[in-house]
Amino acid sequence: MKSTDVLMAGFGGQGMLLAGKLLAAAAMAEGLEVSWLPSYGPEMRGGTANVIVCVSDEPIGSPLITSHRGLVVMNLPSLEKFGPRVVPGGVIVVNTALIDREYEREDCVVVRVDARRIAIDAEADRAQNLVMLGAYLGATETIVPYEAVEEAICKTFSGRKARFAPASITALRRGIAEGRRAVLPVG
Amino acid sequence: MSKVLMKGNEALGEAAVRAGCVHFFGYPITPQTEVPEYLVKRLREVGGTFVQAESEVASINMVMGAAGMGVRCMTSSSSPGISLMAEGMSYIAACELPCVVINMMRAGPGLGGILPAQSDYFQATRGHGHGDYQVIVLAPSSVQEAVDLTTLAFELSEKYRNPAMVCADGMIGQMMEPVEFPEEGAATPMPENDWSLGARDGRERRIVNSLYLSPEDLHRHNLKLKAKYDEIAANETRQEIYGTDDGYDVLVVAFGTMARICKTAIDEVRAEGLRVALFRPITLNPYPFGALRDAMDAIEGDGPVLDIEMSMGQMLYDVKLAAEGSRRIEFYGTAGGVVPSPDEVAEKIRGLMQGVQ
Amino acid sequence: MGEIQIAEERCKGCGLCIDVCPRGLISFSEDLNEKGYTYVRFDGDPAQCTGCTMCATACPDQGIEVWNKAGKQTFVNTTGLTERMTHYCPGCTHGMIHRITAECLEELDLLPRAVGVAPVGCSVLAYEYFNIDMFEAAHGRAPAVATGAKRARPECIVFTYQGDGDLVSIGGNEILHAANRGEKITVIFVNNAIYGMTGGQMAPTTLAGQRTTTCPDGRDVEETGHPIRMAELLATLQTPAFVARGSSHDPKHLLKTKKLIKQAFQHQRDGTCFSFIEVLSTCPTNWGLAPQESCDWVQDHMIPQFPLGILKEPERATAEVSG
Repeated sequence: MKSTDVLMAGFGGQGMLLAGKLLAAAAMAEGLEVSWLPSYGPEMRGGTANVIVCVSDEPIGSPLITSHRGLVVMNLPSLEKFGPRVVPGGVIVVNTALIDREYEREDCVVVRVDARRIAIDAEADRAQNLVMLGAYLGATETIVPYEAVEEAICKTFSGRKARFAPASITALRRGIAEGRRAVLPVG
Repeated sequence: MSKVLMKGNEALGEAAVRAGCVHFFGYPITPQTEVPEYLVKRLREVGGTFVQAESEVASINMVMGAAGMGVRCMTSSSSPGISLMAEGMSYIAACELPCVVINMMRAGPGLGGILPAQSDYFQATRGHGHGDYQVIVLAPSSVQEAVDLTTLAFELSEKYRNPAMVCADGMIGQMMEPVEFPEEGAATPMPENDWSLGARDGRERRIVNSLYLSPEDLHRHNLKLKAKYDEIAANETRQEIYGTDDGYDVLVVAFGTMARICKTAIDEVRAEGLRVALFRPITLNPYPFGALRDAMDAIEGDGPVLDIEMSMGQMLYDVKLAAEGSRRIEFYGTAGGVVPSPDEVAEKIRGLMQGVQ
Repeated sequence: MGEIQIAEERCKGCGLCIDVCPRGLISFSEDLNEKGYTYVRFDGDPAQCTGCTMCATACPDQGIEVWNKAGKQTFVNTTGLTERMTHYCPGCTHGMIHRITAECLEELDLLPRAVGVAPVGCSVLAYEYFNIDMFEAAHGRAPAVATGAKRARPECIVFTYQGDGDLVSIGGNEILHAANRGEKITVIFVNNAIYGMTGGQMAPTTLAGQRTTTCPDGRDVEETGHPIRMAELLATLQTPAFVARGSSHDPKHLLKTKKLIKQAFQHQRDGTCFSFIEVLSTCPTNWGLAPQESCDWVQDHMIPQFPLGILKEPERATAEVSG
């Protein structure tokens, strides 16, 4: 059985729910089973927003996971809350633009990404969420191909929003590169 | 048709349209608000009726009006709103009108919270309002099943001329999963009938009424309803049994979202060699008493039943009724929107198994 | 010389016809009918009767039919009502309001597609009396049921028939919002300033100082507020097209009210939105007054509190919107 899960968290408006949706849509297009479970409590009103995405080649049991294989965090409160819940061997993607402290988990892969700088460089300053998603994809042996995610971006940014697609894909790709670099063997 | 990724609430709305329901009356309440938000746009496309009522009291009565005119109609709400619909549900059941009510349960009592819960099991299965009436209650555990059971809810409500409820929770409402819908336009129209009101065209006048001032007449009406409920109980129970392949020493009973979480927990403990099965009622009313009893009787040795709910123990009463004292029943439940994790459930099972072995 | 025929078995002995006959040609018999009422009979000089139809108009129980001098029937019972005797108390004007409502539907040829919604209260059994498809709704919810019905079958003429407890008190929210949405329904609101069915309790429309079983010393407006003028309240809304108040306490007012109801149904037929007709009525039993005294009480006490007339009509509504 191939499967994975990731929790993506940040402030409301930072695009974590959308990033998760793109991942879920890409996985579905690949014929995989997916679930996308958002937090919908009072925290969505200006607090933190998070989503758990599960991907598997078999029907998904519980969409609610409390120990995660992947974690993507945009802000410090999310890191503090969910960091300890990542299982040994998991991947944690940290946005250094808003989290300026080190995060120690020797049993995990910690990918540090300045999502803001990379997004601005890609001329897509609003696509910081996609930089983070890319970094997660790059750092994991994910079962969802990158192309499927790009495809999902094109589908989401269609019509009047189509002009955002190219820069969004650039942001995603640069994120992927960051993620891959982080897991390259030292040397 | 290919799969689409959709939120449970929106998928339910689409399922209703595919089932041929183009009359919706509702009121916003978290966590079901995406149902009306989705349907207002969708019903405009298909030339249907959407009314945002002034309250849940009004929306269920609008449903009564539309149902009485012989059109397929529905409302949706969440726990506190369903409480307000209690009155209308009683009238609609008494008048024997078909309609579908969606309940995306949230945590109570009182204003409670907006997170998922199963604490309206009593409300759904033991009658919302006054009088000896029953509602068909279907409990999905995935977005796809929510779609399938919405289709079924319309079928059963029309077959038996009785309200049917799709009883899910906020998690299913808010979650996105891939879903497949029945083909658009494939639903059969409401058949001709001899009870709905409208332009008469020379026929005898009809009355949609629940007032019976003669006790004998009302007694007879109740007997008629009871006979119908018995027929529903005999024909319409549905359940899923999981993990029974090589026998089992413990039987977990759970429904809806909770059952799904239990499945993951059961996979986990079975991988450790523990023999555990899951019984999941899909119809909460009629409750599959017979099938549950059979599943209990198939437990090897004197192993217990573990009932797990996102409540303080409501379905538990039905599990005990099914057991009729024949087996030890254990309970684990959380409330308030706290959803037990698969790990937590697995731990409970392991604890129980220590006692068994 | 006109002629009237009185159906003795339908008479509840309220005597309203006696009071309205301009020539004093009707009086109580000395006998009782099957139901135990002292029924009325024509006992004047037949040559004196002009066939004016006042007696039949004032009869709440479809008990009188009239022919004029030329032998032509000038008052025929409407086919919009069933022949069933109502359960209303003698002299209660519900019967007349039922009749004029049904007559309007019949005269406009709307009976085949009319659907009524009965309330909870004295007129809970209205579905037995209107000879059309009927709902019986939960207390106060008739406008919501009517909303669903009309939206489901817009070709039908949908109306509610509600009393003051049902419409103003428990159903205050439903009527307000049905009116404000401009549901294309007609509401007949019968206001007798008291709860009749439950035996004479205070209604939201009970007059200041009026005694009821729950305000035995008279309604104290300091404690329970003033009577609600529902027609005025709804007329403040921008949406409703036609809002009016009439009365049922004598034939003249009843016929005026009938015109209002007819206009309301015409508006619905023509697709104009929400129409609301408040009709002042009596409750001889719970007011503790004789039928004719009750009618006088409406004239003397209710009309000053609830003035009659059209409060809002489509032309004016249009003018307001464009102005």
